[in-house]
Amino acid sequence: MKRGLMSSKTDGSNDEMRELLHLTIPAKSEAVSSVTDAIGETLTGLDVPEQKRLEICLAVQEAVVNGVVHGCANDPSKMVTCQLRCDGDGRIVIVVTDPGPGFNLKSIADPKQGENLYADHGRGVYLIRELMDEVHFERGGSEIRMWKY
Amino acid sequence: MDINVRKRSEVQVVQLRGQLRMGPAVDSLRQTMEEAVGAGDTRFVINLSEVPMIDSSGIGLLVRLLASTKQRGGSIKLLQPSKFAIQTLRLVGVLNLFEVYDAEDTAVQSFS
Repeated sequence: MKRGLMSSKTDGSNDEMRELLHLTIPAKSEAVSSVTDAIGETLTGLDVPEQKRLEICLAVQEAVVNGVVHGCANDPSKMVTCQLRCDGDGRIVIVVTDPGPGFNLKSIADPKQGENLYADHGRGVYLIRELMDEVHFERGGSEIRMWKY
Repeated sequence: MDINVRKRSEVQVVQLRGQLRMGPAVDSLRQTMEEAVGAGDTRFVINLSEVPMIDSSGIGLLVRLLASTKQRGGSIKLLQPSKFAIQTLRLVGVLNLFEVYDAEDTAVQSFS
C-alpha cells in the first residue's frame, strides 16, 4: 500500500478540507483491509467516537471492495485509491476511485427485497448509503464520495 | 482472523477473533465451515463476541451457511454479536434470519 500523509495550511476557515490520507492499493482482496485499518487508525487519532468510526470504516471497506471487485475485476495490476479529508468542524469526506468503467446505479437491486435477502452478495452499496450521511457517485460510478458529519 | 472450533454434544462451537471481512478472514471461515459441513456437521454456534465488524462479504457467508446447514437439517446460531455487528445485520435486513444468543450454554441447548 502506498501511503501519503498530507496536510495543507488553512486560512482559518473551518470549511477548508485537509487531506489526511491518500492510499493506493493493488486490486486484490487481501489488500482491502490495509485501507480500512489505516482509515480506522487515523480516525482514532482524531478522537472520532467509536460508533462513528466503525460506521465510516465499514463504508470504506465496502467502497474499496467494490473498487477492487467490480472496478478492477480483482486485477492486481490495477490500482484503487482512497483519500481521507476532514475540515475544522470534524466533517469527514472519503473518496474511493477505481479505473473501471463505472456501473449503472439503477441496476443495483434492493438487498432487503424478496429473495435478495438470502443472497450472498449485493449489500455493499446499500450499506454505504445507510452508514454515511451523504454519498455521491461520480465518473459513472468509478468514484464514490462519502461524507460523515 | 483466528478460528477455533470445539465440539459440545452434537454442536460445533466456532470461536472467531478478528474482523469478519473480505479477504483471508472470510476465506478461512468459509473453508473451515465447508470442511465441517462436508464431514457431516450441521449444527453450529458461531461466537462473534470478538468480531468488531462484519462486512457484506461476511454477512453473505453467514447467510449462505445458514441456508446450507438448514438444508441439511441443522442451522447456525449466533452468539454474543457486538452491538455494531447487530446494527449491521439489522441494517441489511438479515438479523431476523438468525437465532441470536447471549450465552453459549443456551445456544448449544437450543439444538436439543
